[in-house]
Amino acid sequence: MEANPISVFFVKSDSKGDRLLFRYPYVSDSRTEQNQQNRKKNPYALSVAEDLLLSPPPQSFNIEKGQLIGFTDEVLSTLFAVKQELCDNKFELKVNDVRFVGHPTLLQTSNRSKFNPDSKQSNPSILLIHIVFALQAVASHSIVKCYYDLSKRLGVALRHEERRCGYVTQEMKTMIAAHDEVAAREEENEGKTNEENISPFDLILEQCSLARDLKSAYDDLCSNGLVKLRINRWIELSFCLTQKVNQSLTQKVYKGFMIEPEAIECLENLRPYHGLLLLVDQNLLLASFPPDASPALTRLVSMYSPLKNLQTLSADADLTLAQVFNLAGHLVYWGNAMIIYPICESNIYTLSADAPTHVNSPLVEKFSEHFVGECLLQMMSEFSLPVSIRQKSSPLNPAQYETQLAHIIVWMLQHRLLTQLHTYVYFMPSEKGLGPAANSHQLQETPSATVVTRREGSLQSTPDENGLMPHVASESDLSSIVSDDLSGLTPQSQMNNWLNETVWRDDYLTDFTEEEKSAILKIPASSNPEDLKLLVHLIQQGYFQGQHHLEEIMYLENVRRSQLLQLLDKFRDVLVTCETEDPALSIFYSHPYA
Amino acid sequence: MDRNDTYFEGCGKEGPINCIFLAEFHPVAGPKITCQVPDDYISKDTFEAVSVYIIPKAQLQRCTLTITAFDLKILGYPIKIDNKKYKRNAFYFNLCFVFDAWSRTVHYEPLVKKLSEYLTGMEVETGFLSQQDEASNQQDPSNRLRLINMLNIVLQDLNKQRMCTLSEGSMTTHLKVVRVCHDPTPVLDHHVPIFVEPLDFFQTEQWDLTTQQVLPFIDGINHVAKIAVEADVEANLVKACLQNLEYYGVVRMIPIFQYSNVYVPTSKLHRLTINKRLQDDCLRIVARSGRQIPSIRDVFRLYSNMAHGTTVRDLCIRFDPVALRVDEKRLVQFGVLEGLIRRVHKYPVMLSDDGSSTSLQHFTGLSSLDEICCSTGISKKQIEDQVEKDPNVIFLWK
Repeated sequence: MEANPISVFFVKSDSKGDRLLFRYPYVSDSRTEQNQQNRKKNPYALSVAEDLLLSPPPQSFNIEKGQLIGFTDEVLSTLFAVKQELCDNKFELKVNDVRFVGHPTLLQTSNRSKFNPDSKQSNPSILLIHIVFALQAVASHSIVKCYYDLSKRLGVALRHEERRCGYVTQEMKTMIAAHDEVAAREEENEGKTNEENISPFDLILEQCSLARDLKSAYDDLCSNGLVKLRINRWIELSFCLTQKVNQSLTQKVYKGFMIEPEAIECLENLRPYHGLLLLVDQNLLLASFPPDASPALTRLVSMYSPLKNLQTLSADADLTLAQVFNLAGHLVYWGNAMIIYPICESNIYTLSADAPTHVNSPLVEKFSEHFVGECLLQMMSEFSLPVSIRQKSSPLNPAQYETQLAHIIVWMLQHRLLTQLHTYVYFMPSEKGLGPAANSHQLQETPSATVVTRREGSLQSTPDENGLMPHVASESDLSSIVSDDLSGLTPQSQMNNWLNETVWRDDYLTDFTEEEKSAILKIPASSNPEDLKLLVHLIQQGYFQGQHHLEEIMYLENVRRSQLLQLLDKFRDVLVTCETEDPALSIFYSHPYA
Repeated sequence: MDRNDTYFEGCGKEGPINCIFLAEFHPVAGPKITCQVPDDYISKDTFEAVSVYIIPKAQLQRCTLTITAFDLKILGYPIKIDNKKYKRNAFYFNLCFVFDAWSRTVHYEPLVKKLSEYLTGMEVETGFLSQQDEASNQQDPSNRLRLINMLNIVLQDLNKQRMCTLSEGSMTTHLKVVRVCHDPTPVLDHHVPIFVEPLDFFQTEQWDLTTQQVLPFIDGINHVAKIAVEADVEANLVKACLQNLEYYGVVRMIPIFQYSNVYVPTSKLHRLTINKRLQDDCLRIVARSGRQIPSIRDVFRLYSNMAHGTTVRDLCIRFDPVALRVDEKRLVQFGVLEGLIRRVHKYPVMLSDDGSSTSLQHFTGLSSLDEICCSTGISKKQIEDQVEKDPNVIFLWK
């Protein structure tokens, strides 16, 4: 896993020189190095006396079985004890296949004389501390940035604690003492059989809270990517490796599936009709908030329901929409939530392309623990073909079946087993593809050309109108039925109806080219002013270019689904529909096919 | 990040080499820059701040070291030559390339290494590097000029042509920037290789003999196992060849075409409606004949009507691609290659394990129907019938 840290180091550098005070995990490096020495000597190798290029076999790797090899503590400490010019900046060093990231922090050792006047050291001295993470060199830039951020935060926290109560000086003293103690003990034991070879780091881990903090940070980063520390039991430090956090739940083993923090920071495509789906239990989440958590967040989470969209949530929690958006982004960042379209009966779900289908996948067991008597694979096969809750429910089912189903869907969405399919509509009146709205979209690229065609269209419309008339007249019977509704809208008399019709048609379709016009007018439903009006309106708003799904159109234009579906059916000759997932939410799924 | 939007750290772009310098450990003055092109790109202060990474401790000799500092990325390969003739019994030097901090540099690593080793050779033979100073002090500055000249050539040629040939005296070396790609995914028996670019774009002669034997059978329809049989090449060799070709972007792997396959559009399908070039490519490729180009609406309609539960056969019955002048095989190929559509695979899964039949061992949910058919040699129909009969086995489509 490239997001996992290989190792963490704590280095200091002051007037007494630099020293690696703590590293985790620590192994007796000497043994591995000895092995290497042994391995190098191949008894059958020809020794070429003057082969200078090959004499010291260059080492091109430093990671073996997930552990750092080939660096002694002294080498590392000289590498990490950077010059003053590089302090308080990003430190990034790549050696072979290891990348070291850190933020060297300068701090003034606290002037202790104020507190204990008998201390001789009264003038403050400059001290450099550096917490470095070793990563795999292939780790992506965003991962490196996250680790840099963590190192920086640790540095800032330590700087504060040093200023407040001399925490770092104290911890450092303990660490140095431990190193010295072990060194002294080893000297004593020299010559004897070293049956008890204790590492100084064991001792440090026992005695220093800072070392324990670093260890727990390392362990947390490896396990789930969430770090929650309280440095010196005072400064709260929380950090989240977004790339990792979202993996723990889905248990996906796809290489390279990570949610980049950048992707979350710019949840640009978030819309008020989207909803939240918490990935952890609501009450557990509320309980996990620190005491100083924003009350807005608490309110939002307590109002949460996967059935609500963000707008409803904002009304219920009495927050502005912008605030809800930010909080939603926050919850997603910390791996507590994902964005979905709120669950409702008409949503169509299908198995997501990356759903694990393995019989022995751990999710199978988890599912049967959660829903007694249900089988995950069976359930997954029911979603093999896209299906909505409405289609699955029937009056024969027991009453609680639907709530159970909703719970199952929530669970499967949380584990990214399901994807929702949305219907996108394309207005394609002619063989050339997208209609006028698309042309106006291309307008930016070639402005002059499209403007001309537009104008041509409107010019031509006058002479061609006559040609259209018989066609219109043939449908007058049909339109007269409709005209009852029309009379309510327009105060013209029935006599003028025929004339009237051409007028409103022309009115609606002025912006269309002749070809498009005739394609629309060929459809019987176009004689219904209501339908035509809605169609023209939706086309002109640019909803039928495949960028807005039905739910979005419903939300933005305040129309009912049935209305839209009827319209799609009536004008199916010029409208092409297509069912895909919402690209705005695709960051939550890995795409093995892409 | 107040820099230009297009160049930020992690943008993944490749920048030019800004500077090449040679640093050495001077027996008196310590680490110093012997020579750099262009002059004074790396200031003395900058160098001193990072000198510990340029001339590092003995343990880090012959390691590729990259240090990012001051918006610069310095890539070096420190080398130490032990010899009694040097003042400290050893000569330390490091040839470094300098880039902008946003630039990707992994692909320059082997280059720096090779060039350093070339210089090592020259140093051992003639003392080319260690005599820089003395030469410039005395009347003969030729060594220094030669080095500057050499580094200039490397800098310019690599930035312009991405390759460079150096010959100094009896030694010649060739440097070439080779892009680093991800390892291609393993090739499996049921995969179908397809050329990404037309055959005449690359010379067949440049490939090895096995690949040359395999190439004629790659037509976007034959799967790997079939190619192995037809080309009379061992299957694993074929896979290795194809993986190699995939690495160089010559072929891509697509699922085998069958009329019983199910494809669904992805959100990328939208691109087909707005990208004129993609449209033209698409129409040209999916046309049944070059003279009769299908209309984009028909092609789009075909793509968008692909859905879960709709096989290619259903699609053909509903729309009659012949009348629409569309070749359905190429339609699917193009769609898959461009990511407009994706295959929905069928996975037979056994719910409870009673070990009744031997072929059921494949029904673990890990291998798709294609894979099972290919490895067992049983036809798809047979397996489907078997699953139909067995209530214990279900199909998952994903």
